[in-house]
Amino acid sequence: MLRPLSSLLGRLGILLAVGLLLCWSLGPVYWSFVTSITPPVDLFGDPSFWPKHPTLEHYAKLFGSTSLSQGNAVQSVWPQFSAALLNSIVTAAGATAVTVAVAATGAYAFVRLRFPGRDICFYLVVATLAIPAYTVMIPLYRLMISLKLIDTYTGIVLIYVSAFLPLALWLMRSVYQAMSISLEEAAWLDGAGRFYTLVFIVLPLAAPGLIASAILTFLNAWGQFMVPLVFSPTLATKPLTVLLPEFVTRNYVDYGLMNAAGIFAIVPPVLIVLLLNRYLVSGLMAGATK
Amino acid sequence: MKRRLFLATAMAIPLALALAGPAAATDNLSVLLPPWGTLPKDMTDQFVAQANVTLDAQTLGWDDILTKIVTSSVAGTAPADATELDWSWMGRFGAANWYVPLETLIDPAIIADIPTTSIFRYNGHLLGVTYANDFRVLIYNKAQLLKANIAAAPKTPDELIAAAKAVKAAKIANYPIGLPLSATEGTSTAWYLLTKVFGGDLFDKDFKPRFTEPNSAGYKALSFEITALKEGLIDPAATGLKDVDVQELFKAGKVTFDLAGWAGNMALYGDPSKSQVANDVAAALMPSTVGKARTLGLPEAVGIPAKAGNPKAAAAFIAWLSKPENEIVLYEQLGDMPARLSVLKQLNDSGKLKDGNVLLEQAVLVEPLFEQGTPGWYPIFSTAVSTIINQAAKGQISVDKAVVDIAKAAVDAQAD
Amino acid sequence: MMRSTFKADEAALAAVFVVPILVIMGGLVFYPLVISAVDSLYRINPMQPDAPFVGLANYARLMTDSSVQASWFNTLAYVAAAVVLETIGGLGAALLLDRVRYGRQWLLAATVLPWCLPPVVNAIVWMWIFNPSYGLLNKILLGLGIIAENKVWFNDQATALFLISLVHVWRMMPLTAVIMLAALQSIPADLYEAARLDGAGPVKCFRLVTLPLIASGLAIALSQSTVFAFNLFDEAWILAGSSIDTRSVIIQIYLTAFQNMRLSSGMALSILAMIGSLVVSLVYVLRVYRETRFD
Repeated sequence: MLRPLSSLLGRLGILLAVGLLLCWSLGPVYWSFVTSITPPVDLFGDPSFWPKHPTLEHYAKLFGSTSLSQGNAVQSVWPQFSAALLNSIVTAAGATAVTVAVAATGAYAFVRLRFPGRDICFYLVVATLAIPAYTVMIPLYRLMISLKLIDTYTGIVLIYVSAFLPLALWLMRSVYQAMSISLEEAAWLDGAGRFYTLVFIVLPLAAPGLIASAILTFLNAWGQFMVPLVFSPTLATKPLTVLLPEFVTRNYVDYGLMNAAGIFAIVPPVLIVLLLNRYLVSGLMAGATK
Repeated sequence: MKRRLFLATAMAIPLALALAGPAAATDNLSVLLPPWGTLPKDMTDQFVAQANVTLDAQTLGWDDILTKIVTSSVAGTAPADATELDWSWMGRFGAANWYVPLETLIDPAIIADIPTTSIFRYNGHLLGVTYANDFRVLIYNKAQLLKANIAAAPKTPDELIAAAKAVKAAKIANYPIGLPLSATEGTSTAWYLLTKVFGGDLFDKDFKPRFTEPNSAGYKALSFEITALKEGLIDPAATGLKDVDVQELFKAGKVTFDLAGWAGNMALYGDPSKSQVANDVAAALMPSTVGKARTLGLPEAVGIPAKAGNPKAAAAFIAWLSKPENEIVLYEQLGDMPARLSVLKQLNDSGKLKDGNVLLEQAVLVEPLFEQGTPGWYPIFSTAVSTIINQAAKGQISVDKAVVDIAKAAVDAQAD
Repeated sequence: MMRSTFKADEAALAAVFVVPILVIMGGLVFYPLVISAVDSLYRINPMQPDAPFVGLANYARLMTDSSVQASWFNTLAYVAAAVVLETIGGLGAALLLDRVRYGRQWLLAATVLPWCLPPVVNAIVWMWIFNPSYGLLNKILLGLGIIAENKVWFNDQATALFLISLVHVWRMMPLTAVIMLAALQSIPADLYEAARLDGAGPVKCFRLVTLPLIASGLAIALSQSTVFAFNLFDEAWILAGSSIDTRSVIIQIYLTAFQNMRLSSGMALSILAMIGSLVVSLVYVLRVYRETRFD
């Protein structure tokens, strides 16, 4: 399938496209990195692609215990930052695990199992994608208080699942629909149960869809702001997205610190993507035919 | 009433659970403050030891803290045992009965020492005790003025324009006057302040707009801003600048005047690690067309929500926060201007207040924006003000149209 | 015999799989939604002691409010720009990722990166790039000779709307790319072989094999682009505050409900926003399915 592309022209085109994609995606991130190593007094000057006086002071503020800057003790924000980072990871990972598990089995039921109200159920769930967070926030807050789930991982994960399940469910349903039923029928004829077939035959084939759902859910949860703002009052569960705006103190926006924190915050999700990528781009089915 | 019934039924089960649940841990105190209320740990340790409670200190960004407080209060719970209470929220939170009166809980001697407490009264009840005493002064770059051969800070708006023109002519700063013109709250407050500079008030005592006539102070203030922008004394980019952005420009030496300067910022501007103009910055009384240097106070307080689980400890916390030694720590570590006059004097006497004499002189002249107390419709009005001024600054509408639009917004906001 | 036990088995398994979904969605989404919908028929304002039933009065007022109308216009502009740019860019990126042989995982990680930057940091980075005096955009365009002097980008409504959309697209495009990539990966390679044996070139291959088979993925990607663009808040708020030129419907909801405390009015607007994004999504979901079903 790669043969027609092996012409020089095709390769050049691909190289160009790769270059364009990299510039578009990495350019602003690079600029964020440059800001994170620019000393505060240099920020208002002629912008340059490489900072003239690179400094690690913002990272020092992030990681150092306390550092001395011109006679002033500057407090490290690392304890807060690391707690928030951990919270982001735990809530996003928890939401991803639950969402993917529920979507993988639920979508299977919506495609392969027959039960009353199947389609209407599915469409109703998918339609909730369109609900803005503000619409449900106040009643949801009352509910979470009464369930005593405010400021708990369980509460945040449950809300994330309810928010991101529709997308994952829809994606998995389309994946199952595209799959031929013949393999499953063969397994049933061999006497395998439904559940066994799902776990050992269907899910491996659906790997690209599962991984795509996982990546989407993780990234969506990672970037959430409104939900944790209201439901995570303290550092017990507060994620990075809510912590970072606090670096805007009243009399001064700590651009350098904010960008340093931002640069550091992209590491965990990127690691996850690198780790999962293998399964996304070479799903077992594609691998079998190559 | 019907709605209440519906809600009552719908909420019956969860509510029953709720009633059975919390209010058990009375030895815990939760406090919700913005980033400049991130109290140093040494300080809170003292309070914890003295009051014998566990302190659960929460901070949220400024734009977000209101969302949090409104959501929990509407849901019938307390956002925390003690929370931020901004001057601009008073009308709304007072009318909603979300905060408890403090006059019986706090020592009257403390209240008497804090001139801005009047801003936190609703129907005569004190709902918050000031901890950050933000008021406006004229902050300027003395070295740049001297370079343009101007020895003294301007005392009137005309002198200010003249000085700015001189600075621009001498090519010391491209755009000497720093003023936000974006569609953000800082733009509105700057116009309110300038209205006082031009010797007037926005509303009469029945909240009727008084800024539509060309000879009114509000009209002059807006036309001052737009003219200065057109003449190149204000950066054309100001239509996208918030108050904090303007302050960054001042710190970088790009503007000569921080016209709507926050008094607390003197400490920041004078800090060489954070500012390039640390040796050049100076404060002056607000310019005025009437002689008296009128200015605006925009203080922040701590209040106790009506549903707070531990109001007693919260009151103890407020009293403790108002202690002179703690106000000094707040000023030194977080840049919060002390609320108590006696503490301001004490700081000035010990030489810790940059241009302290000016600040003290200006502090006594602080006025609230609304003599009658902040009305509940303030945010609707204020959002409209910044949006309309932003339009005028972009050249989309004239000053005449802008003041008429603002007046209409004020009338609409009061309509219900 | 066999068949009937199978059926009971099927129903039981369906119950086990679907009940968790019903509990989570019913409890955390539909129940609060119904409460909000009912609340939007009352006048709820914490500053006023009573909360009378007002029927559709909140909705009627929203129809005539000029700020609300402006915010609808802006939101529709964001949706149009975001959907078009994200779909073209995301599909392009996915096709590229599907073809590239070396360093594919690194390219994918780079593509996904914009999503990982916390939204606040994202908006602030772009704010710096767009800064009229010290920003990169003016510097680059000046350097290329495209503009003669520094531009204040946000003074012009069309430019402001476009730039805010661009920031949004930058952040959201990876989602479209990942969905499309998953769809592309599920196309069996032998279909391409067959088409090629029939003499189809790359363009024909794309039209006859790729497009019909990624149709459901495309529908999902289009809907999620629409929904996220309808919910645009951070980018416009950080870059331009409450400016009427760029104010989105969600910003209008925030101002109405949380700043002005007209809660039921805000709830009513948020319900209209929900209906709006549902209707727009439905239009092309149906369209995509109809156009590709019969191929």
